[in-house]
Amino acid sequence: MNKIQSFGVTIIFCILIFGFSIVTLFSPDTEYSETENRTLAQMPSFTLDALLDGSFESDYEEYLTDQFVFRDGWIALKTAAERASGRTQINDIYFAEDDYLIEAHTDTFTTEQAESNLEILAQFVELYAGEFGAEHMTVMLIPNAVDILQDKLPAFASPYDEGEYLASAEEAVREGASGAAADADADGIWFDARSVLQEHSNEEIYYRTDHHWKTLGAFYVWQAWAQSCGYTVPTLDSYEITTVTEEFEGTIQSKLGIHTVADSIELYLDPDAPSYTVEKDGSGEVLDSLYDYSALETKSKYDIFFGGNNALTRITAEADTGRKLLVIKDSYAHCFVPFLLSEFDQIDVLDIRYYNQELSELISGEGYTDLLFLYNASGFAGDTSLTKLLY
Amino acid sequence: MVFSSLLFLFRFLPAVLLCYYLVPRPLRNFVLFLFSMIFYAWGEPVYIFLMIVSILVSYIGGIAVDAMKRAGRPKAAKSALILSLAASLSLLAFFKYADFAIGTVNTLTGAGLSLLNLALPIGISFYTFQTMSYTIDVYRGDARVQKNLISYGAYVVMFPQLIAGPIVRYSTIEEELRSRKESIGEFADGAQRFMIGLAKKVLLANNAGSLWDSISAMTVSEIPVLTAWLGLAAYTFQIYFDFSTYSDMAIGLGHMFGFAFPENFNYPYISKSITEFWRRWHISLSTWFREYVYIPLGGNRVSTACHIRNLMIVWLLTGVWHGASWNFVAWGVYYGILLVVEKYFLNARLEKLPEVLRHIYCLILVMLGWNLFVFGNLTESMTYLRALFGGFGAGFMNTETIYLICNNLVMLVCLILGCTRIPKNLCTRFCIRFEKNHPVMLTAKGLFLAAIFLLSVAWLVDASYNPFLYFRF
Repeated sequence: MNKIQSFGVTIIFCILIFGFSIVTLFSPDTEYSETENRTLAQMPSFTLDALLDGSFESDYEEYLTDQFVFRDGWIALKTAAERASGRTQINDIYFAEDDYLIEAHTDTFTTEQAESNLEILAQFVELYAGEFGAEHMTVMLIPNAVDILQDKLPAFASPYDEGEYLASAEEAVREGASGAAADADADGIWFDARSVLQEHSNEEIYYRTDHHWKTLGAFYVWQAWAQSCGYTVPTLDSYEITTVTEEFEGTIQSKLGIHTVADSIELYLDPDAPSYTVEKDGSGEVLDSLYDYSALETKSKYDIFFGGNNALTRITAEADTGRKLLVIKDSYAHCFVPFLLSEFDQIDVLDIRYYNQELSELISGEGYTDLLFLYNASGFAGDTSLTKLLY
Repeated sequence: MVFSSLLFLFRFLPAVLLCYYLVPRPLRNFVLFLFSMIFYAWGEPVYIFLMIVSILVSYIGGIAVDAMKRAGRPKAAKSALILSLAASLSLLAFFKYADFAIGTVNTLTGAGLSLLNLALPIGISFYTFQTMSYTIDVYRGDARVQKNLISYGAYVVMFPQLIAGPIVRYSTIEEELRSRKESIGEFADGAQRFMIGLAKKVLLANNAGSLWDSISAMTVSEIPVLTAWLGLAAYTFQIYFDFSTYSDMAIGLGHMFGFAFPENFNYPYISKSITEFWRRWHISLSTWFREYVYIPLGGNRVSTACHIRNLMIVWLLTGVWHGASWNFVAWGVYYGILLVVEKYFLNARLEKLPEVLRHIYCLILVMLGWNLFVFGNLTESMTYLRALFGGFGAGFMNTETIYLICNNLVMLVCLILGCTRIPKNLCTRFCIRFEKNHPVMLTAKGLFLAAIFLLSVAWLVDASYNPFLYFRF
């Protein structure tokens, strides 16, 4: 290198190293990342103990990474560069046809957790199948987009076959049912949501940018389930379908940082639904809607359903059916439960992850007539709190 | 602390550069010493005492050896040297090999002794070899004794080469430790080398690593032959790019502070024989073993039997140096045998073969070597070896193989090119075409360096994958 070049390189190097150092030192910290939907690491407090055991050092590095200036921009830059290099799978997310971003869930279903959750499911079914009977107890695991929308995946992509895990789950339910005291018929307990969704795989049943299913997917499963339960079978035209936003960019988009095509969220409002009230966690505060429109002002717009996660939500409806339902669920149920209003007088919606009392007490105390266990398959496989089902 | 981290780039490096260039020259070794200690202690401050002991043992050893030599007592000098080497080696043995020894004893005798489970002090194999080179060089008269504890300490703990080499022999930078002149030309060379090294580490090595990780996470008996080879190729790329770019960054940083460290890698994968490969791979380690083990044992100026013995000793030690477990022993012995066979039998025959066959011969053997190296134990290596040769009947390839190749195609091309001289030759041609100070040339270079640096930072902020491979060395 000659002198002019040396000066040039040195200046560029110093601007980059010192420039970013100064900017990162003086840029204000943020508590919460809207894009990533999580609280960011804060400056760790310094103690001698923390320094000596190394926790201060690792906390500080986490803080530096989380609070790095233009964080979202860097992540978008990385995604864009990887796309430019011809990758169709980035951070375990497929860039699929029709602008779908689809999580591959490469490792989700092969963990020890995923295995042991199947055992828990079997024990759970064994515990309650006798009490409810097969006609009044349903277990359904909703497959992920990667399973249903296989046709949209990039050529030659071969993700983990979720059908395999769902088959083991069905097996676990049968095993539990056959172990139960009363005459629980396993065929009645396991509900095959996968086949229902596969029939509609060319419709808009999953979000493009979020890990949830769309209300239309929930509708088809509801329709099939209602039929199998002998409830009034709904048709699509009995709902007023309202699009509440067309600017939804969900959790998958957050992981990539770049903007693709935004999603719309639809509410399926039933004009004939009975009037109902909603109470959260026995707070005494009574709401008159399952929809929290304020969520539309935030990044996590899917929270319009139920206002997000909550331990126990009690819906009282004037359905006059004499049926009382307990739904044990993850957030996939949030757009599903509104369909149930006309079939039950009371629907208790339980998120076991946040519920810290004994489930058996709740069930024996409330005298439910029906039990619905509804999880997303990957959410179920990765859940760490399912043992609470057995208490 | 590792170089490819935001902490190093935007906290440590600016701080040390600023302090280093603000203080007057006589204090610069002290600044390097102090910051290197912080670099070393970050994350595991307790081991700073180990570092101080290591420095003191060899520092005092050097002074004692020198004093005895001056006093005309060569035997006493030799004793002092042996004592100092024994002390250094026992620290290394205790922290690195104790559990390996205990485990082996347990397996052989069923004694059930409990393991120590010590965290391996980072870089211990590298700096122990450096301190040993110092005392030996003083004893041999290849280096003068260093009486300034700070300067000596700065040599041992110097952060650029502390944790992953190159292994700098004391005599190499003896003069620079006493008096060196930093210059803008050298600084720019260093900065450029560092930025390119960083980008190769973050953009190429890490991505090759995640390809290897995704393949090695599969059930081995279900991996088709081609996928297995793709995985092993990915690891082959990962270890080279990871390791050599660490040396690049170390050498670059050295230049920024006025030191010229030796080169450590010279396009090893373009070799045509294993003998050539080891002249191009981790040169500073091979040099160390040649200087301090192989030649003292008599090298090749002995009987054939002794020569083979010498080679096997060196390669056994090389294997064990890389990690305390049997797979590294096997890896060392593997290369020992290959080198003996080449020396006494194969080399003459190889030379008659077409070049391309010699390249393939060498690459395949190197890859099979990494298969021994990469797994923590021999059983896994053997299982993977079976997959490589279709022993499980999992077929030659499947759609996943095609997808993995398509998804990583651009990266694989970059990795292959990066192992050859082609990019460098293209750059040189580009430079010649545009005369050196042509504005196009200057702008292109500036833009290129800034762009790869920004991309590296983007990958670091996303921080999903940034492994450090040498924790076992």
